[in-house]
This record gives sequence, C-alpha cells and structure tokens, in this order.
Amino acid sequence: MATTLDTHWDNTHEDPGKRAPLVLGGLDYAGVTDSVAGIWESRQPRTWWIVFVLAVIWLLILGGCIFHLFMKGVGVWGNCNPVFWAFDIVNFVFWVGIGHAGTLISAILFLFRQNWRTSINRAAEAMTIFAVICAGMFPGVHIGRIWVFYWLFPIPTEHLAMWPNFRSPLLWDVFAVGTYFTVSLLFWYMGMVPDLATLRDRAKTRVKKIVYGILSLGWTGSVRSWHRYEAAYTILAALSTPLVLSVHTIVSFDFAVSQLPGWHTTIFPPYFVAGAIFSGFAMVVTLLVPARTLYGLQNIITIRHLENMNKIIMATGLMVGMAYAIEFFIAWYGGVQAESFAFQNRAFGNYWWSYWIMVTCNVVIPQLFWIKWCRTTPWFMVIVSLFVNVGMWFERFVITVTSLSRDFVPSSWGFYWPTEVDIMMLIGSFGLFFTMFLLFCRFLPLIAISEVKNVLPRSEQH
Amino acid sequence: MAHSAKPGAVHNHPRNRLVGLMAQFDDPESLVAACEQARRAGYVKLDAHSPFPIHGIDPAIGIRRTRLPFLVLALALGACVFGLWLQYYTNAVDNTAIFPGYRFFISGKPNWSLPANIPVTFEIIVLTSAFTAFLGMWALNRLPRLANPLHRISRFRRATNDRFFLVIEQADEKFDLNRTQQQLEEWGATAIEQIIEDLADRELPRNLKLAGIVLALLLLVPPALIYRAMGTTSRYPRLHVVPDMDVQHKYKAQAIGPNLGDDKNPSYMYGDRRAARPPIPGTVARGQLELDTEYFRGYRESHPTGLFLPRGHAELVLASGTRPMPVLDSDWQDPGHDAPGTAQDASPADGTVVPAEKDWVQEFPSQITVDEALLKRGQQRFEIYCTACHGFDGNGNGLVNQRALALNAQLKAKWTAAKSLHDPTVKVQPIGRIFDTITNGRNTMGPYGRQIPVADRWAIVAYVRALQLTGIQPVVDAPATGPSATDGQPSAVE
Repeated sequence: MATTLDTHWDNTHEDPGKRAPLVLGGLDYAGVTDSVAGIWESRQPRTWWIVFVLAVIWLLILGGCIFHLFMKGVGVWGNCNPVFWAFDIVNFVFWVGIGHAGTLISAILFLFRQNWRTSINRAAEAMTIFAVICAGMFPGVHIGRIWVFYWLFPIPTEHLAMWPNFRSPLLWDVFAVGTYFTVSLLFWYMGMVPDLATLRDRAKTRVKKIVYGILSLGWTGSVRSWHRYEAAYTILAALSTPLVLSVHTIVSFDFAVSQLPGWHTTIFPPYFVAGAIFSGFAMVVTLLVPARTLYGLQNIITIRHLENMNKIIMATGLMVGMAYAIEFFIAWYGGVQAESFAFQNRAFGNYWWSYWIMVTCNVVIPQLFWIKWCRTTPWFMVIVSLFVNVGMWFERFVITVTSLSRDFVPSSWGFYWPTEVDIMMLIGSFGLFFTMFLLFCRFLPLIAISEVKNVLPRSEQH
Repeated sequence: MAHSAKPGAVHNHPRNRLVGLMAQFDDPESLVAACEQARRAGYVKLDAHSPFPIHGIDPAIGIRRTRLPFLVLALALGACVFGLWLQYYTNAVDNTAIFPGYRFFISGKPNWSLPANIPVTFEIIVLTSAFTAFLGMWALNRLPRLANPLHRISRFRRATNDRFFLVIEQADEKFDLNRTQQQLEEWGATAIEQIIEDLADRELPRNLKLAGIVLALLLLVPPALIYRAMGTTSRYPRLHVVPDMDVQHKYKAQAIGPNLGDDKNPSYMYGDRRAARPPIPGTVARGQLELDTEYFRGYRESHPTGLFLPRGHAELVLASGTRPMPVLDSDWQDPGHDAPGTAQDASPADGTVVPAEKDWVQEFPSQITVDEALLKRGQQRFEIYCTACHGFDGNGNGLVNQRALALNAQLKAKWTAAKSLHDPTVKVQPIGRIFDTITNGRNTMGPYGRQIPVADRWAIVAYVRALQLTGIQPVVDAPATGPSATDGQPSAVE
C-alpha cells in the first residue's frame, strides 16, 4: 500500500458539519498495517543507528556512575548538609512527571472518547514505562544500602525485624510509583497484544515467529475475545485515571507533608499533576515529531494530532504559570515570614537563575502556541517542547534545592552544587530512556494498529 | 466467490480432525450481516475474527455481557479490606505475629489514622483490580493458547490485518459440511476453508516436555535443601551475603587494626598498630588505687611499696620522687615486647599464678562485718556464681563439673575437677587464700574478680567458711574430720 503524503488536506481545520479525518493519505486497513509493520520489517534508518549508539554510550556511562556510586557511597554526589535531596529527587520527579502524559493519553482521553489519541497512545505509553524506569532508578540508588532495598516493602525480613511505617509519604511513594509502573505495564502490554499478533502473522523468520507467537498469547481476534478485551481495557483506563492523578499527588506529598518553607503548601498536588502532564506532553512531542518523519508516519500522526498536543501543552503551561503566581500570592497573603522569605529567595536568591529559566521556559515560551503557525509547524514545536522539558526540570530543581538550602535558621543554610557524577547520571538517564525507546521502535509496534483501524473513516461511518 | 473447500479431502487422515468451516469477508458490515444470518439459521457454536473490535457484532453473534467487571469489583473490595488490615496490623497492633509494628509516637499522631492510610489502601486496590482485569480477561478468553488450528491456515493471517472471518464449528448441531458451506457462500463469503486440526498439535513438543520435567525437578532442589537444613546444626556461622557494617575500615580505640588503606599500603594510626595510646606508666584509674591489700587482695603486703611495676619503670617512678602508683594491669605493654616482668615476679595479667607463700589474712578485714545479712548475701552470690561447679553444698557436684568429668572420661575435655570445699586441704586454707582463689581463679576455675565486687567476694568467703563449719556433705565421701554437722550456726564462723 502506497503511503503517499497527503499535503493538500488540512485536517486541523474544524468544520462543524464534517469531522476532520484522523488518518490521511487514503490509508485503508492494510495500509495502516503496512505503514506500522513496515518499520518493524525493514532495516532501521541511519539516524536510528546514530542516536542508538549515542544512547548506549550514555547508558554505559550511567552504569559506570552507578557502579562508582555503589562502591563509594552517595558522597560522590553533591548532596551535602543541608541539601540532602538534590539531583536524585529532581530527576525522579522529572521522569515520573514525563510518564504522566502517556497515561493521560491512553486512559483519560480514552474515557473522554478522544479518538485522536489512537495514533499516539502506544508510543506515549511506552514513554511512560521507560520514564518510570528512569524515575525509579534515582531513589533506588539513593537509598545508600542498595542491597537491602526490599526494606521498603512490607515484607517480613529477619534483618530489619520490623514493619514499615505506613504513615510516611515516602512509603506511599513506593506504593504509588510501584503500582503506577505495574499498571502502566499491564495496560501497555494488553493494548499491544492484538498488534503483536499482527507482527506474528507477518513474521518471516522462525525466531520471530516463536517470540512474537509467545508474546501475542495466541490472539486470534475472536470477537468474543474482543468483547472481554474491551471491557478489561475500559476497566484499566478507569483505574489508571485516578491512579495517574494519585501518583504525582503522592510525589508532591513527599514535599508538602514536610514543614519546610516553600514545600509546606496545599497547592502542591494539583500543581504537580498539571506540571507532570505539561512536561509529559512536551516529551511526547519531542519524541514523536522526529519519529513520524523518520518512519514516514505523517499520515497517521498528523498535524492535527500534534496541534492537539500543543494545545494541551499550552493549557497545562498556563496552569503551571498560575500555580507559580498563587505560590507568591499565598506567601504574601499568609503572612508567614519564613514563607515569604522562601519565595523571595527563589526569585532573587542564590539560585535566581534557575527560577527565571523555569519561568521563561514554562510560562513565557509556550505562549507562542497561541499562534497557529507555531503549533502546526513540526520543527518549531520540537524547539518549544525542548524548552518546556528544560523548564520543567528546573522547576523541580527550584522547589527542591532552593527550599532545602535556605530553611528557618540561617546557621543551617548551605549551598548545593552538583558534581560531575550528578550531571553524568542525569544525562545517562536520558541514555537509558532513549536506548529503551529506540529498541521499542525497532521491535514493537510503534502505533496501535488495531485502534487506528477503528477510527478510519469507514468505521466511523459504520 | 473464490476458493471452495474440497469436502472430505484432508480430514480423512487419522491424525486430523475437522474443526469447522471458516468463511472470509472483506468488510466488517458483511461480517456482521453474516453473523446475523448464521444466528437466524440456528447456529450456536460460531465465532468471528476481526482485526479490530467491531461495534454491533456482539448482539449479532449472541455474546452476553462479560462478568469481568463484577470480578474486578469483588477483588477490589477484598483488596480494600486487606490494605486497611495490613496497615492496621503492622502499625497499630501491639504484638504482631512476626515482628514488632511501627508503634512509634511521631509528631503526636495516632498510630491508626485513616487519612494517612488512604494512599496505600488506594494503591493496593488499584493494583489488585488491574491484575484482576488483566489476568481475568485472559483467563475468560482461554488464552494464552499457542496451538490453534486456525493458525495453520495461511489465509487466516489476514485476520490481524484487513480481513474478517466467520467460523462455524463442526460441533454445532446444525453443522453439515456441504449445507453449511453453501449457506456461507450465500451470505457473501469471499472464501471458505475447512479448519483441520492436526491432533499432534495438541501435544507438547517432546523437547519442551523433557525440559519441563527437568525444570520441575530442579525446582524441587532448593526446597529439599531447605528441608534438609531445617533442624540440623552446623559448626559454621550462617551465610551472611551482605556483611552490612560488620567489618568497618575504621580505627577502634581498644583494638589492634584493622588498618585503613589498601592491603599493600596499610595505614595505621601509630607504629604499634593501635589507634589509642596506652596510659602513662603508673596511671591508676579513679577509684582503683586499692592500697589496702588485705581488703582488696586478701594478703598482707610484705614489700613496702606493694607495687607491680614493669621492669625499668620502677626506677623511673621512684627516681622521679613522686609516690609510686600500683599498676594492676599490665595490658598496656606494647605488643612484641617480652612478657612484662614485675618486681614481685608475679604476672597478674593472666591472674592464675599467684605465689604460694603470701601472707594470707586469717581474719576478715575491718571493712567487713560478719553477720547474718552478710551470710545471706554470700549465700545468694555463691548460688549464682559458684554452684554451677561446686554444687549447692560445696562438695563439688555441680552440674558443670559433672558434665565436664563425663567429657573427661570420654577424653573430650581436660578438666580439673572442682574441689570440694569440705576437702581438708581447702578447709585449712586461710580466708585470704579463698578470697584470692575467687578473685584470680585456680586451675580450670576462671577468675571472678572482674564479675564480683570485693565486698561480695568477702561475703562468699564468709559463706564458704560457714559451709565448711556446718559440714554439710554427702555421707559417702564424708571424712570424719572437721567440726561436726551440728556444730553451731553459720554466724559463728569466726
């Protein structure tokens, strides 16, 4: 099936009388299958290999850093009294937040019957899984005695001889992130089984036939199976929706439940969730715009899809900007000296630059999306989304480090600066993420084939 | 109208079995229509296959609503109860079955407060529900099923791509190969094929079966080893995979080594590998001067200074003009030197060799008043420290002694039998000598000076004397010497 790029059709135009198509180029069922499975069947483009080698190099550097960390202890990081939480928790919150867009696309947009999600949900869910792996790594290696990590779980261990404290937000975090990862993985895998069956039925080599045969669990597309499958899919979506909101809420409890000025606020849960979706959509745009060009998927991931995501980026960016403003208002209105100092210090203290990077990247730059050209031009939206990624990383840095370095008592103030290991581990986590994502593009269906078929014009008429 | 099946062509083979007929349709609408026709024609055992869920096909083919949501609800409610119980049991109950709970008073918060327990309960509910939905869906669909006769049909590969299939099973009462085929053609099938099951497909591949058996047997090994290890003893310490902080590379005040740095280039605090300096010669710890040797050691000091001084230091101390201090413990000597000699030719370090010709005190020192309270105290201490070997009546039949003598007989121990306190050689000993025995030990008897305070040692001495005077001893080895059994009360010791 030829996948000619249909450049004449502008599917970003809203005509109340007629629905704009979500798949262009006149693709039919087989055309969709060929477009997606073609990625899997053909050799990877050279760009894939270049990025993959770079990602693996950084993954190896990350591995080296973690080995160094285990051998020497957490002193190889810049964390020191009073800033005991720094890059590790910043990276953790950053990566968990990125994951949220995937679940939002796959679960919340599913419940709202937003059919445009079908083209991007698979890749976004994969991004969720890999982002949560990157996120979980940081607190995992931060616990010092990594070999007794299982003390985090309510497992009766002879060594600890004690149960965990269920009233601690840090334990809630273990449960929240662990559940989030597991449920996302189940959701992702279950959604992929019909597409794995497609790959199984197209497999040429014996190894592929066996591997994809096992992975697809003997799926035949029986309508009886589809019936239960759709029920299970809806249930998982309905479960993931409160779950994804709870995860970043609980992550924000790590901060909000403490009494540190700048952390102890009730605005944190909604503020964190909005920020998470904001950063996650930015990452989806960052990943999918190059991917659609690389694999020629412009007819499936259309400008309309990208524009919708940019609208969400703009909306959540405004929410985040409002939260920044409200924080300052409450600091003034609350009349607590320590609080007002904490926020003055954020904007004008030692780390003033990080605060203004955050505001510029998160609040100012996304306003460009008010202009239609900006939100429908692929190369431009990638630049904006990269700024948003940087800004959201700095948001977590601002929250964590400025508050810790300047608490109530001036005698316990300090200044945090990362070490080389900190910085290499941050870049290395991108190496881990991109290695996994590129392998995903190579070996698994990048687009939810069966779901896209469901929103083809023919089915809509049905 | 494309392929037509050739009835009776393949399924005659004894290993093969006709499962049913499979008809291909080119679009979802004609599949739904065909399903409706088939239902109307009375077929019950039929299924359709499509590359994506077709809406409206469920009533056409007669699918009832799945019970999956109720299954998920039931397990979610169970998970809610479990989550709350888990947190209550581990955080708010005094005596849990295995380990102490986290009943610590933190920030004035109660041990059991529902708001703090909502997050974990919620996560447990979601986790359980998600697994139920996921696993329940596969179980209800009878998947994974890796061998399916449909996969033998190359045409069926398009069921995951762009074609739609209706399958009518042979097991259906209405099924008749020719008639059903004809009907399917009427309903608009673009191709019809027989589904032939190769019965060999149902069997596991032989290698897989073998591998499964081997794996199952191997899995039995760890539990078998654990079972064997249960209740057995070992001469070796338990396997300790992660030594945590058992061995730390740091200086310890009272020990030699371990060194810091690597093996080839060790780094010690001082040349003698110690991390602390020994006290200056002549140092006496506060409250341990103990010049009154009669009270503290049980003999009168014949030497005017009464000192144990290391060779070479006595002159130094005396020459310095200060009053020399007794050194009671020669532990501080640098390792590698010869064993320290002392002015008295005694080596109190091991506490066993004491000169026999000491001037033992014959009477209790003035600090000790011998009365009933002292004897009661002595009896109590004696029963704690001495009876294990010497027995309650002092004739040396304590349990440890009995066991050790039994081991001696089997040549498993070298034990000098505990003396009977009624032994004539013991009875004639001056009390200072008995005090010294308690303090420093004799033969296999260890020194008790560090465990029993001085006053209690004297109390024990008094009680020992009382025992000897009352002469309670078994008839068999009772020599007629010594005072008679009726001779006076313990208070008349002196």
